[in-house]
Amino acid sequence: MHKSCVKFLPGLLMIGLLSFGCAQKEDVKQDMTPKTGQTKQQVQKNVYKGKIVGKSNLAKTISIEVGKGKQAKIMMVKFDDQTKGIEHAIKGHAAIITFEKRGNDVYAKVVKQKLAKLPQGVTEIKTEELSALVTNAHKMYLVDSRPASRYGQSHLPGAVSIPVPILKEKQAALLPADKNELLVFYCGGPT
Amino acid sequence: MSTASAGLAKKFGYKNIRVYLDGEPDWAKAYLPTYATHDFIKNGNVVLVDVRPSNEAVKGRIKGAYSIPYEQLDDRLDDIARNAPVILYGDQETLDAVEDMRDDGFKFVSLVQGGFAGWIASGEAIEKGPIFNTEIRWVRKLGKGEVSLADFRKAASGEDKDAVIVDARTKAEVAELGIFKNTINIPLDEIPARMNELPKDKKIYVHCASGARADMAFKELLKNGYKAKFLLLNIADAECDCEIIRP
Repeated sequence: MHKSCVKFLPGLLMIGLLSFGCAQKEDVKQDMTPKTGQTKQQVQKNVYKGKIVGKSNLAKTISIEVGKGKQAKIMMVKFDDQTKGIEHAIKGHAAIITFEKRGNDVYAKVVKQKLAKLPQGVTEIKTEELSALVTNAHKMYLVDSRPASRYGQSHLPGAVSIPVPILKEKQAALLPADKNELLVFYCGGPT
Repeated sequence: MSTASAGLAKKFGYKNIRVYLDGEPDWAKAYLPTYATHDFIKNGNVVLVDVRPSNEAVKGRIKGAYSIPYEQLDDRLDDIARNAPVILYGDQETLDAVEDMRDDGFKFVSLVQGGFAGWIASGEAIEKGPIFNTEIRWVRKLGKGEVSLADFRKAASGEDKDAVIVDARTKAEVAELGIFKNTINIPLDEIPARMNELPKDKKIYVHCASGARADMAFKELLKNGYKAKFLLLNIADAECDCEIIRP
C-alpha cells in the first residue's frame, strides 16, 4: 500500500544506545570519549551522520536522523545530479552526508555508507555460517539485542532476548558462565 | 545494538564473540524460520494461522487461530494484509508456508515458538470444535504521527475547520492529477522554505501520493513546532474517497 514509512551530552548517551541500530556503535564509541569540541567541529564541517529515515526521488530530498536520544533531530537535505553516492541513501541504513548550503537550501555533496565498527577481536558472522551452526545445534549463546517487542514478533531459532539496556544493567549475569563459549549477537541489521 | 552488546560482552571477559551484523531481516530474507513468543501471539495485533489439515484444527487449535490448511493457503493469501504480522504453525508443511508467504510479499511472517506442541506444553489456551471464524479480520493500528483517514476526510471536506491539509507532491503531479479541497500544495523540498505559510495553532495533515514524502514533511514540521500528522495511504486507493478538484 505504501512504498516506505520510519541521535551529545555524555548523560544522554545511554538513552541513545538503548534505541538505535547495529551500525550506530561507531558514533556511540566516539561520543563516549569527551570530545565535545570535535562534535562542534563536525557540525561546522557540514556533515550529517545517522540513519536515513526517508528519501524521495521525486522531491530529490533525503531525511536523516542525527544526534542521540532526545537530542535526535531529523534533517532534510536535497540532492541533485552532482550528488555523489546517492545510492547509499537507503531508508533505514546509516549514512554520512557531506552537505553544502546554497542560499536557503542544504544540498548533499557526498553520501557515504556508515559502516559498523566491531570491537577489537570480535568478528562478523554471515547468514550461511550462522544458519549452519543453528542447524547443527552447535553450542552457542545466540542473543537478540533488539527491544523485547521486536524479539517477541520475530526472532532467530534458539535466540534469547537481552536488549542492550538490560545487558548493561544485569551484566554477565544473563550470559553463560563459561567465558569461552561462543556468543553471537544480532539485531535489526543495517535496516 | 548488536555491536554495543558485543562491546559489553568483551568488557565482561568473554573471549569468543561474533556479531551477525546482517541481523534478523537478512535471516528472514534467506527464507530461514523466525519465531514469535507466546506473549506476542496472545497480545499482539497478529493474524495467527493454523496450516494443518482442518480435521486437526477441529480437534484442537490455538485460541484465536484461523484455520487455513496448507493446500488452500495459496488461494487465501489475498485475504490477508501484506503488512500484517502473520504467525503460522503446523506440521512439516509450516516451513514451506513461511517461504510461500514471504515470496508473495508478506513482510512479517514468523512461527509459533515451540510449535503447537510447545503451546500446549506451556498450558496456553486452545479451542476445539467447528471453526466459525473464516473471514480474516485485521486492522492496522495507526503508527506514530499518522492521521486516521476519517480525520483526514473531515479536514478535506471542510467539516473540520481546525485542520489544514498540505499536499507534499510536486507541482507537476498536482497539475496532472488534481488536488483535494481545502488543501495547500507545498512540495516536500519546499517545506523548509515555505512552512511559515502554515498556521502553528491549527492541525496540519500532510499527504503525498503514498505517504513516504508526507512522513518526511511531517517530521520536518514537527521539529519546527507544528501540530502535524501525516496520511499513510496511496491516495489513488478507492478507500481514500476524498473529493478532488480536477485540473
